[in-house]
Amino acid sequence: MVHSKVLPGDELGVAPPGPLPPNTYKIGNKLYSLKIGLAEVEEKEVKVIPLSGPYIPRVNDFVVGKIIDVSAFTWDVDIDSMFTAHLPAQDVFGRDFSSITDSLNDQFKVGDMITGNIIAYDRTRDPLLTIREHGLGKVMRGESVKISPSKIPRLIGKKGSMAKIIESKTKTNLIIGQNGVIIVQGSPEGIVMAIKAIHLIEEKAHVSFLTSMISELLSKEEPGV
Amino acid sequence: METMRKAQTLDLLSKQKRIDGRALDQYRPISIRTGLIQKANGSSEVSIGNSKVLAGVKIQTGTPFPDTPNQGLLIVNAEFLPLSSAQIEPGPPDEDSIELSRVVDRGIRESQMIDLKALVIEPGKSVYCVFVDIDVLNMDGNLFDTLSMSATTAIASAKFDKKIIKEDGTEEIQKVPLPVRLIPVSVTSIIIGDNIILDPTEEEESLFDVRLTLVFNEEGNLTAGQKGGPIGISREQLFKVVDISRVKAEEIRSIVKKAVENA
Amino acid sequence: MDKLIDENGIRLDGRKWDELRPVKIEVGVLKNANGSAYIEFGKNKIIAAVYGPREAHPKHLSLPDRAILRCRYHMSPFSVEERKPPQPNRREIEISLVIRRALETSVFVEEFPRTVIDIYIEVLQSDGGSRCASIIAASAALADSGIPMRDLVVGCAVGKVGGQIVLDLSDKEDKEGDGDMPIAYMPNLDRITLLQFDGEFTVDEYKRAVDLGIEGNKKVYGILRKAIMEKYFKVEAEK
Repeated sequence: MVHSKVLPGDELGVAPPGPLPPNTYKIGNKLYSLKIGLAEVEEKEVKVIPLSGPYIPRVNDFVVGKIIDVSAFTWDVDIDSMFTAHLPAQDVFGRDFSSITDSLNDQFKVGDMITGNIIAYDRTRDPLLTIREHGLGKVMRGESVKISPSKIPRLIGKKGSMAKIIESKTKTNLIIGQNGVIIVQGSPEGIVMAIKAIHLIEEKAHVSFLTSMISELLSKEEPGV
Repeated sequence: METMRKAQTLDLLSKQKRIDGRALDQYRPISIRTGLIQKANGSSEVSIGNSKVLAGVKIQTGTPFPDTPNQGLLIVNAEFLPLSSAQIEPGPPDEDSIELSRVVDRGIRESQMIDLKALVIEPGKSVYCVFVDIDVLNMDGNLFDTLSMSATTAIASAKFDKKIIKEDGTEEIQKVPLPVRLIPVSVTSIIIGDNIILDPTEEEESLFDVRLTLVFNEEGNLTAGQKGGPIGISREQLFKVVDISRVKAEEIRSIVKKAVENA
Repeated sequence: MDKLIDENGIRLDGRKWDELRPVKIEVGVLKNANGSAYIEFGKNKIIAAVYGPREAHPKHLSLPDRAILRCRYHMSPFSVEERKPPQPNRREIEISLVIRRALETSVFVEEFPRTVIDIYIEVLQSDGGSRCASIIAASAALADSGIPMRDLVVGCAVGKVGGQIVLDLSDKEDKEGDGDMPIAYMPNLDRITLLQFDGEFTVDEYKRAVDLGIEGNKKVYGILRKAIMEKYFKVEAEK
């Protein structure tokens, strides 16, 4: 396997059989990168991991969003993507929902933060959310932070290890959306420390030994101002 | 209204804490870089935290206003570039941008930072015009102070070619600074609940009840001010803000003066 | 009046006929923008920012099968010799259009139907060849934002001074020379995406000028690659 750093337009090699790998395009039988990223090229598989980019909703993604509008049948939710997501009233009130008796505003109003899963999204329509699963819905307390969605895997870490270190050392709870929005809950001091760690991870996502760097940062005495 | 965030912020503030770890009266790191635009007579790029602006000064000859024939012209204009925030669209400035521009202008004009009478070439006919144009490059709260600081440091570090008449009557062109009498300093704070917070970030500004911008001259006297925000302010709160701001203005003035000296 | 180019082929600023002015590029300079870059090209100082893809407002502005690219090239009032009023003039509007065209060929707009991608370019100091320098900065900002592109797009002008074809006109050469030809180019795909010119060129001069322009663009491309690598793969450089 060949690893390389690629820029848009860089040649990756001969296209392997099958569908076009994400973040690449084909001219003739050669593949080229569409983004700045890390390429992994094997005979039968080519992968380009982009190092930046907008959040592109995927079905089943867990996201954190903010209610920005309430109409008769839906809530509009800002999930920091290129499209506004929608939460249908039926998802909350059930099939027999009636706009006369069921007030959407009583459930969620403009400014509320919610967690949800993407239940539908394609090129012709805006993403649809559901909060049916356990634990989803309005978030009552916490501070929100936004980072680039491409850095979320790093923040979570292998099997959640990085996020767990932050949570245990700062005694906070992290709610991490695939869309790059994170809610931090805990004591004021803990929240400040956790947010510092999150920003450091975003800045240094490409660095090795990041886990021990974060561990060290959080083990120091409360730094003060 | 961001209910979750406001509740959390009030909780943090009750323990005298802000999201980025600052004290309530602490400014973010300030960076001042002058002289970046050689084609301009003076320029200054100022960052307060992530708020970043660039001021350019152009000094040209022109005709004075009819009602002030013995004064040079000072025109201060701030441009909110769509570069600076997802919320800004190209087009004519909105009311918030106009307010910012005018408050920055007043802070400089009312304090009489520049001796405009010393910019006359021929009374009633020809004067020097000082254009101060400020580009907002990145918005993250407290644009009042960021814009003001860039304008004043650009003006204080500017140089232009002036026709000087020597004792023997001959004319000579000399590169001179503008006739700057003093450097006004702007201090902006917001009030959330009962808490007075200086140098708010954009996030903090979105939760404000009151915003106050106060401009101080070198004697520590107030020369301009503007209140913003949906809630009224009590007399006690106002006086408290004035006292805190006055002290902060002197701290900031020494940072600003050092930057201009090194220009 | 000074001759723009002397008997030894040396220009007023000391450069030879095929020499570029100094170029410096920095990627990722603005926090709020999705992507951004800053360039110094000769005395040009230009900053570019990309916002998007994002929803179009009003919605009817959008297209159902692709993103719309919008470009705004603007010069700050203090960027030129005589202070310029802030309102965009006709020259800025035309340059906004040709820059957008130069980049459109590369951006994979089909990936984001019903959205807009906004490119904002601000000239902080102008020095001849600003539209080419703007294209480089905009290209870097687009790549920085993670928007898919077929290739990076670079730009460089050629011209004619004292009867000779030269690379990368300075401000004075642009104003007083015999011809000016800005060229934008996609290096991996070997395609020209912007071509304008004024002045008089014989067919042979024209072909030589285009070839020189492509050579100049390749040099600029090398500088742009390095700047992006430095920003994104800094650790590798440190190891």
